[in-house]
Order: sequence, then structure tokens, then C-alpha cells
Amino acid sequence: MNSSKQQHRVLTLLYLAPTALILLVFIVIPIIYTLYLSFFDWNLIAPTKNFVGWRNYLTIFTDPVNQKVLLNTLGYIGLLLVLNFAIPYVISIIVQFFIHKMQGVYKIIFFIPSLFSLVVGAMVFAWIMNPVSGPIALLLRQIGFTLPNWTNSGGLAIVMLCLITNWKVFGYNFVLLLTGLGSIPQNLIDAAQVDHIPKWRLIWDVVLPLNKSMAFYVLILTIVQGLQYVFTPINVITQGGPYYGSSNVLYHTYLNAFVLYKTGNASALAILTFVIFLILLFLEIKFVEGRDADAPI
Amino acid sequence: MKITTHLRKTAFLVAFLAALGGLLGVGASQVQAAGKVVNISYWHVNAQTQGGAAVDDLVKNFNKTHPNIQVSAKYNPNMYQGLMQNLQSAQASNKVPDIVQVGWAYTNYFGSNFKYLTPTAAQSKFDKNSHFITKNFTKRTLSFAKDSNGKLVGLPYSLSTPILYYNKTMLDKYGIKASDLATWEGVSGAAKKIKAASGNYGLYIQEPGDTWAQQAVLLSNGAKIIQKGKAAFDSKKGQAAYQLYQDMVVKDKTALHTPWAQGMDAFVNGKVAIAYTTVAQASHVKSSVNFDVQAITSPHFKGQKAVVPVGGSMLAITAQKTSQQKAAWVFEKYMYDNSSLVTWSKGTGYLPPTSSALKDQTFKSYVNDNPMLKPAIAQIDTAVPWTSFPKNGLDAEQTMIDARDKILAGSSVKSTLKAAQEKINEQQ
Repeated sequence: MNSSKQQHRVLTLLYLAPTALILLVFIVIPIIYTLYLSFFDWNLIAPTKNFVGWRNYLTIFTDPVNQKVLLNTLGYIGLLLVLNFAIPYVISIIVQFFIHKMQGVYKIIFFIPSLFSLVVGAMVFAWIMNPVSGPIALLLRQIGFTLPNWTNSGGLAIVMLCLITNWKVFGYNFVLLLTGLGSIPQNLIDAAQVDHIPKWRLIWDVVLPLNKSMAFYVLILTIVQGLQYVFTPINVITQGGPYYGSSNVLYHTYLNAFVLYKTGNASALAILTFVIFLILLFLEIKFVEGRDADAPI
Repeated sequence: MKITTHLRKTAFLVAFLAALGGLLGVGASQVQAAGKVVNISYWHVNAQTQGGAAVDDLVKNFNKTHPNIQVSAKYNPNMYQGLMQNLQSAQASNKVPDIVQVGWAYTNYFGSNFKYLTPTAAQSKFDKNSHFITKNFTKRTLSFAKDSNGKLVGLPYSLSTPILYYNKTMLDKYGIKASDLATWEGVSGAAKKIKAASGNYGLYIQEPGDTWAQQAVLLSNGAKIIQKGKAAFDSKKGQAAYQLYQDMVVKDKTALHTPWAQGMDAFVNGKVAIAYTTVAQASHVKSSVNFDVQAITSPHFKGQKAVVPVGGSMLAITAQKTSQQKAAWVFEKYMYDNSSLVTWSKGTGYLPPTSSALKDQTFKSYVNDNPMLKPAIAQIDTAVPWTSFPKNGLDAEQTMIDARDKILAGSSVKSTLKAAQEKINEQQ
């Protein structure tokens, strides 16, 4: 009996080993190494690394460019939450509870863009939305409007880049949320209808709380994945410009690491991002998931 | 019982993986055993649409004619920056390629961070009595590939200069002659005329992730970018040049300020009359426009001479073993044959670096079919090396990009240039 238990344990460890090894090699060790590098001034290949203590972290908060990039990141998060979370959620509720025909068609149509490469999407958008010679600009000119030159304004560039990400992510998030809504037990909804409870109260008091886990998942996905997705159009279209106006923490990390080869600065930024994401996750788990840990997912 | 099955399965899996590993190991040792033929790898930045096919042709032909050397070409996406990034990782894992293309902006960075064999050393090591380098390259051309200590890092391979493309159809319509565009003041005047008459922009100056074209504007007002290893663009002449550019963008709104791809799109679609960009765009421009497009040499400011920095890349030998170095040198010399260079030029739109290739009959007839290359060739004799700061060069370039973006967004030219220059010089 005892030996079989032990064998079980050995087997468990053995089966977990490949995954654990992959996690260790590709996630855990790189994070620890990044932390280590964030205390040095190094260009990736020079034989010596100069220890600089907390200087790289201090520059993140004192350098105006870094401050600008951090603010932009907040802007991106806010906008992405509206575009890639709030709007798909509202539309998925409409499709699930207010429209009874063609649900499948909507799903497919919304989902199609998520199959395309974001690089291709970014290039096509850059062409369509070219403020001087793009088709939209020409169309607007016909009716007496001018498309603002969004490439010259950080704020407008952020909006445009978020819209491109939205084109890609919307369908995927929509389908996820719709699936969550679809898995709410029908008898609860039927019961509410029998009791003549108005639809908005049904949604507010029954549907939203029951779909919390899925919504929470999509919310986190929107922030974490959204900031990564938006990297592609930034890199293709604005390269963070005008004057870092459309850069975010992830692109700035990349710029420092692989364009300027300032590994220390980049590592400090990466660690900061990691900590922010960790706090976000922790807060969400504590306040959204934690309240009813036993709730079925 | 069940557990034993589990164990058996696991054992089988382990055995399978071990066998797979063994197979791979055997494969590797067989390759090494083949010996005799020297294998070298050549890293380039040419996608299929940007001369990749020419690279393939050249390598294929070389491998056919040199049975003892086998070259494999590897394409690196994202131009010289991408190649440099890959080279970093290669160096970190000790698996460096043997011959690489290095963009001018990276001359000092490459020179001080990577192990390489200088062309001069390669020549004296493998071709004792040859004068290959001095015979093929002019002093000026060689100066492009020297680092801040005057050491030749590689051999110039592809050259480009910025030229002024103009929409002749549009200019004719508003009575503007090409000769009006000989000076930047003239360009500014023409842009005003076009804006007033048609509402279109007059000028676009390329804005990629470097300030190559902007440096040409400053240099053509007699300003210096670098002097004795220190940044020197914050001068009266430098400020005046940037002021004219800023006025066109911000005050008169006659010049377009936008990223490179969008700016060129606007030009080829006839929404911008004049574009100042690299000659390497010539074939793209030619094939995309439906108006009469022509090109002239870089403008200068009144009373000054036009001076342009050269663009493109050099070939550097990164091989570490003597046999590989020798093979790389043989391959490099083959790449500088007239016929190889002409193939290369046709495929990429770059200009050949050797004087004999420039005089080659095939190249000449190619230029006659593509007259937009002529102004670029005319400028090569007066071109200067691309500014490469001795220390923290990549950071310095970023500082100049930042200054450009700030100025074009309306910041004071004087204070922005001053701050940028101080920032760069603090690090020199």
C-alpha cells in the first residue's frame, strides 16, 4: 500500500516534470535573469556588466519619456477595456438575449478577423486610414471633411492603434463571452420569465453575476494580451511616435532592449510591467473570484 | 498492475526520446565527417521583394563555380537592425555567421562589440601581393566603412543617397521647373505655390527610424553633424536648416509630417508633389505612379553646396576559423565582380560600390533605362559617411530622431537642438 502510494508520487512528479521543466526553462529562469539584469548597465554582448544598483528603476520614474510611456499605457488599458471588453460584452448580451435569429452568422462574421495576421491587418489599416491619400480621407474630402493627421498626434494614434487591435480581438472575446452567457442554466432564465422579471433586471441580477468568471477571464485577457497585441501595429505603423506619443510599456521595453541595446533599462521596465500585471491579477482574483471561491466556473 | 503499465509506458516514452536524441546526434556527426568542403553562411537583409532573388542567384552561381566552398544565405527580417539583433544572439551562443551585411549606422557599434576580420587583414593573410581593395574602391568610398578610429571595418557593398523625386505632371501644371528645386528655399517656394493652388502638400522628407535625410538637409546648409567626435549640429546653420523645414511643416503646412510608408503612399498617389527619399525607392516609385515622375540631385541652401550622407551597407567577415575566413574572403571577392555587382544593383536599386562596376556597360544601359538613378550616381563623388558617433551611437541616433519629432511637432528649434546635442555629448 505504502509503496504504491510512493509510486504514485513518483509517477505524478514524472508526468509533471516535462511541463515543469519547460516552465522553468522558458518562464521562471528568464524572469529571474531579467531581474538580475535590471541592476546592471549592459548591451547584451559586452564582456562586462556594470552594476548600477537601483538606477534603472529610478530612471523609469524620473525620465519624462518613461513617464509619458507609462501614462500612454494607462490610456491604452482604458481604451482597450472599452473596445475589447465592454463593447463585445454588450453586443454578446444583445445577441444572446435579444436577437433570436442568425446568432451563428454573427459569431462567424465577428470571428473571421481573428484568423488574420495582425501585421497584415496593420498594413491594410495604415493604407486605408492614410490621412492624406487613403480611401477614407479621399471619401471624407468629397463631402467636405478632412481626416485629422492621426500619425502626428499621440492621442489619435493610440485610438487608431487600439481600433486595429480591436478589429483582431473583438471576435475572439465576443465568442468567449457569448459561450459564457450560453452556459447559464436555461431554467433560471425561464423561472425569471415566469415571474415576469424585466429583462434588464434578469441581466443585471442573474446573468452578469453568473457569467462573472468568464467576464473576469476576458477582462484580464483584454489588459494583458491587448497590450501585447497592440505592439504589432505600433511596430508596423508608428514605431512609438510621434515622440513616444503612441508607445506603451511593452514597446518601450522592446525599443530599449533590441533597438538601443540598453538591457538594464529594458529589464527594469519588464520587471515593472510584470509586477503591475501580478498586482492586477491578484486584485482581480481577490475581489472578483475570492468572494465566492466555491462558485462553479 | 495498473501502475506497472504506467511505468512501462513511461519507460517506453523515455526510450523513444533517447532514441530520437541519438538519431539527431548521429545526423550531426555525419555532417561534420563530410569535411573537405568549407561551409560558410552569409547573412543578408534582402527579402524576396528587395533583392532576395538576386542574393539567391549570386550564391547559387558561386556554389556552382566553387566546389570547395558552399555558401548558405540567410535572410534576416527587419533590415540591418534585425540582422544586428540576430547577430547579438548568435554571438551570445557562439554560433556566428561568417560574412554579414552591416548598415552604416552600426559601423562603430559593430566594430567595438563584435569579433571580425578587417578586409585589410584578410587581404594580407590570403592574397599577399594583391591590391584588391585599393584597385576597386576609391578613398572616399572606403571612408564610408571606417569606424571612428579610422579602421576599415568591412568593404562597402551597397550605396545609396537621398534624391529629390518630383511629380512632373503636377509641377508642370503650376508652372514650376525642375531648376526651381535646386535649393531648399526654391523647394519651399514651390511647395507654397502648390499648396495654394491645389491644396496638396508640396514636400515630404522621409521619416524612418533614423535621421539620414534630415542630416542631408543640415549638411547642405554647411552645418556639421559631428565634429571631432562630438555632436555639432546645434549651430547657426543647423538651426536655420531645421527652421525652414519646421516652418514648412508647422507654419505653412506645405510639407507633410508622417511616417515613411504613409508619406511615400501619399507621394505615389499624387497627394504630395515632391518627395525627398533614398534612391533605393526608385523602382517602387516608378512602378507605383500613374504620373510622370522624375528625380534630381539633392537640393542645397543658397550659397552652400549639397552634401549627402551615404546609405546602404558593407560586408564584414565575422568568421573565426582560418578556413572559414579564407572562404569568406573568396566569396566576398566574387561578390565584387562586375557582373555580380550589376546583378545585385538591378535586384535592389542600390548603387554598386566599385568604380569599374559603375563604368560597366550593362550597368550603364540599366541606368539609361532607369534615369532616376543618375542623380544618385552624380552625388556619390561628394557624399560623406553616415554619422556614427564613437560611443553610444544607437542612443545618439535615437536622440536625433526624438529631436526631429519634437521640432516637427512645433517645439522650438533652438532649444530642442541644444538639448539634443548636450544629451549626446554627455555620453561621448
